[in-house]
Amino acid sequence: MTDEPTDPKPDGGTASQPTTEEPDDFEEHPLEWDEPANNDKAPDERKSVSQPAEKFDDRKLVTGEAKYTADYEERFPDLAHAQVVRSEVSHGRVTAIDTDAAEAMDGVHAVLTPWSDEVPDAKYTSAGQSYPEPSPWDMNVLNEHVRYVGDPVAAVAAEDRETAAAAANAVEVEYEEYDHVVDPEEAFDEDAPQLFDQDEVENEIVGHDYDRNRMSNIEGEIGDVDAALDRDDVHVHETEWETIRQSHAQIEKHTSLAYTDEDDRTVLITSTQVPNHTRRQLAHLFDIPIRDVRVKKPRVGGGFGGKQAMVVEPIPLALSLAADRPVIYEASRDEEFGAMRSRHPMKVRARTAVTDDGEIEAIDLYALSNTGAYGSHGMTVAGNVGSKPMPLYSKVPNARFEADIVHTNTPQTGAMRGYGAPQGTLALEGHLDEVARDLDLDPIEFRRDHYMEVGDLDEIAGMMGGEGAERRIRSCGLDECIERGKAAIGWDDIDQPEEDHLHRGVGMALSAQGTGVAGDELGAAQIMMNEDGSFHLQVGGVDIGTGADTAFIQIAAEVLGCDEDDIIVKSSDTDNTPFDYGAYASSTTYISGMAVKKAAEDAKERILDWASRMLDEPAGNLETEDGEVYSEETGDSVTIEDVGYESVYGHDDREHILGKGTHSTEESPPPFAAQFADVTVDERTGEFEVHKLAVAVDCGVAINPGMAEGQIEGANHMSYEMAVSEGVTVDDEGRAEVSDFDEYGLPSASETPPIESILVETHEPTGPFGAKSVAEVPTNTVPPALSNAVREAVGVRINEMPITAEKIKAKLDER
Amino acid sequence: MEIQLTINDEPTSAEVGPDDDLATVLRRNGYTGVKCGCDGGVCGASKVFVNDEVRMACGVDARDADDAEIETIESLGSQDDLHPIQEAFVDHFAVQCGFCIPGMIIEAKSLLADNPDPSEAEVREAIDDNLCRCTGYQKPVEAILDAADRLRDDRSVAADGGPEAGPTNGADDGDTDD
Repeated sequence: MTDEPTDPKPDGGTASQPTTEEPDDFEEHPLEWDEPANNDKAPDERKSVSQPAEKFDDRKLVTGEAKYTADYEERFPDLAHAQVVRSEVSHGRVTAIDTDAAEAMDGVHAVLTPWSDEVPDAKYTSAGQSYPEPSPWDMNVLNEHVRYVGDPVAAVAAEDRETAAAAANAVEVEYEEYDHVVDPEEAFDEDAPQLFDQDEVENEIVGHDYDRNRMSNIEGEIGDVDAALDRDDVHVHETEWETIRQSHAQIEKHTSLAYTDEDDRTVLITSTQVPNHTRRQLAHLFDIPIRDVRVKKPRVGGGFGGKQAMVVEPIPLALSLAADRPVIYEASRDEEFGAMRSRHPMKVRARTAVTDDGEIEAIDLYALSNTGAYGSHGMTVAGNVGSKPMPLYSKVPNARFEADIVHTNTPQTGAMRGYGAPQGTLALEGHLDEVARDLDLDPIEFRRDHYMEVGDLDEIAGMMGGEGAERRIRSCGLDECIERGKAAIGWDDIDQPEEDHLHRGVGMALSAQGTGVAGDELGAAQIMMNEDGSFHLQVGGVDIGTGADTAFIQIAAEVLGCDEDDIIVKSSDTDNTPFDYGAYASSTTYISGMAVKKAAEDAKERILDWASRMLDEPAGNLETEDGEVYSEETGDSVTIEDVGYESVYGHDDREHILGKGTHSTEESPPPFAAQFADVTVDERTGEFEVHKLAVAVDCGVAINPGMAEGQIEGANHMSYEMAVSEGVTVDDEGRAEVSDFDEYGLPSASETPPIESILVETHEPTGPFGAKSVAEVPTNTVPPALSNAVREAVGVRINEMPITAEKIKAKLDER
Repeated sequence: MEIQLTINDEPTSAEVGPDDDLATVLRRNGYTGVKCGCDGGVCGASKVFVNDEVRMACGVDARDADDAEIETIESLGSQDDLHPIQEAFVDHFAVQCGFCIPGMIIEAKSLLADNPDPSEAEVREAIDDNLCRCTGYQKPVEAILDAADRLRDDRSVAADGGPEAGPTNGADDGDTDD
């Protein structure tokens, strides 16, 4: 972890006009952002932004013509198919692998073990993060020391899937078994089986103690929490919460195709959220120059964080090197649940010190995170348990967060939409509901007295050091989110069912997220003009089904004054698109979108320069709209197409109009959500029915409102699953008990309540056209809102997810 | 063995192995709008019509498809001339990653042929085995209800309006350098 940045903000730091009693704060974090005039457009001035532009890839998606990674198979006649041999023991050492039978089979092209030349023996982390990765280097492509049932041990490539599967079955692995540990609290014991020796791991991050299976301990504090807890005039409340091991369950499985091209360069077509990180990681791992690795992302069938990692790519690459031919690896659904990644299951303790009249003096959260067999994203996800939800209550003077992240012999965890915030939000929002009940306070007014508003300096976001930074709040639509959410759910007018055994309750929860990782993001874009007035937009930002490419088009069209159809977007291919950190941390619209905006402005400046000469008017008088450049003084105009032809075929001068933009920032403004859930519980059985979820989100200006609503609804569905489904359970050997969708319990259409999404517009001056993020914040809120609704309906508290009829019934029986 | 089947009105013969499912055979023959999201017969992404009945192609033994009439997503509209159901999905922003959508549209077509005016509950029931991770089902359900309106309004468009050709190799993310 790094220290907090001390540099002044890139913009505005010098332009600020301190106007309050806190000049130091305002100098470093000005309230008035030095925003370009064109960034803040009234709704009726927007031509493309905020309009329902058709999602640019929809037509090929609904006709089945879009190409995902597996659809590239037909282009490779000599393609081989990979299968992975995975550990059958929870913990142990591979003592021998007999590959003879597999290698002897017809059609088998390669069989690899941990000791094969093509398999790197270096440690790495699969986490797709910035560099150096804030995750320990603790895993191998193929593992001799296996730490969970599902750890990759060997891999085969064969002419077809059936042969590959048969060959994988024929590989004989012998193990020396070690003791294993599955429960994270037991793993923390001094005498628990130990997953790692200290010197087996390259771990630069804080607080590791592998003798106790601890990969990290982190803590941060502002004020003095212990002193506040000890005060005589406060009530100390303490609650505990538990969350599930949730699978990303993206419908497209992890799929990756590796080959060497005619220039002897290494190429991956792969379903990833992080093409640039994957390129760097592969280059380092395989000791290939970065320039000789090319990562291409076709359409991606969902990621949700599961593909913010180099989960499978090294295996087809190693096999393609060994087999000397292209290799594709497509995980099975069984592997998706047991051997890819999942959300970290956690236990979170919440503690507050609150005065009689409802002043929160301190919030104290502690999380025990089960990172499974390896540590990818372990520390950073745990950090976000505190650093995302707690800043919502930035008016609380004392705050502390601590987490222990421990290893168990269970499947690997990783990044997942919300990234720790769902776990922390359940604990905090469920806890505050209990406190409000205990003190007989209105749950909304109690929160309102403490939550952030425009102008606040949020110090809590900075309490974890490198995990976030102090920030000024410049946009906040929480009040309106609450009012509109209340209206949508009918908060003030809940009819009770006529039957005496049925009880209806409405619960609510609030949430804040970030927009990108503060101070640790980079997006870039370039735009090339064609002579017909159209543009190629090349952007590193990664559309994994979110609609990001369409948002990029809308941003560029808004700047250029052209039609969306005049922009052809290309993302992502590391040979042909600029650098980008990737699709994660709610950064894409904000960071990559701002890079697009800058690139378009750069190109526009050149267009205006050419038009100035063509119209004999100063560029300052010119503006673009509807495909034309016109003079605001004379009304004369030329088309953008005229400029396109003139600029490349002109008599006296010629220029290819190119724009480039690159964006990075210390800012990470929070989007906000107010969640409401309406439930009826049968007190005889504990069975419950969720009638409706309503969620209002302040994402700044929605670049495309329909797509933003889709993000909210999908996130809320994922959040609902976290509240009512078991997730991936593991047996007492740590083996995943879920192998297919039937066993997993992804809520189906009829099992999902209607979701009303509400967009509350604010203007975030640091974002492109006022936008901040949308996709993660509604992932956080259903578990606490539903737990609070059940509490309201029948008076029992379910704090261990999932909420089930059995648990409600058991609690009702206890009373 | 070799099987004979008709795919989107095109008589076709296909070589199939003993372990091949119908989804594999269709994809191998270029009908890659048929998607595979599970290990067989669960997620709904591979739905096609087999002799006018919706089946998950990955759950059908390819040899059992001998002599069958198959209709895949590629038989519906084209990008320039979408089927009304496809059009409704686009207009309602019901598509995110799109991986599950071809199967869902096939199921919606079947539903609306049998029940031109379904309730929301009936739509949800119909697509209950079309798993989607992106949308929360909200906008797909709205799209299918709207598609029902569109089809009722304009019966003449409801017939298959797709291109004669099978799969196309149309827009492909600009990956033209391979």
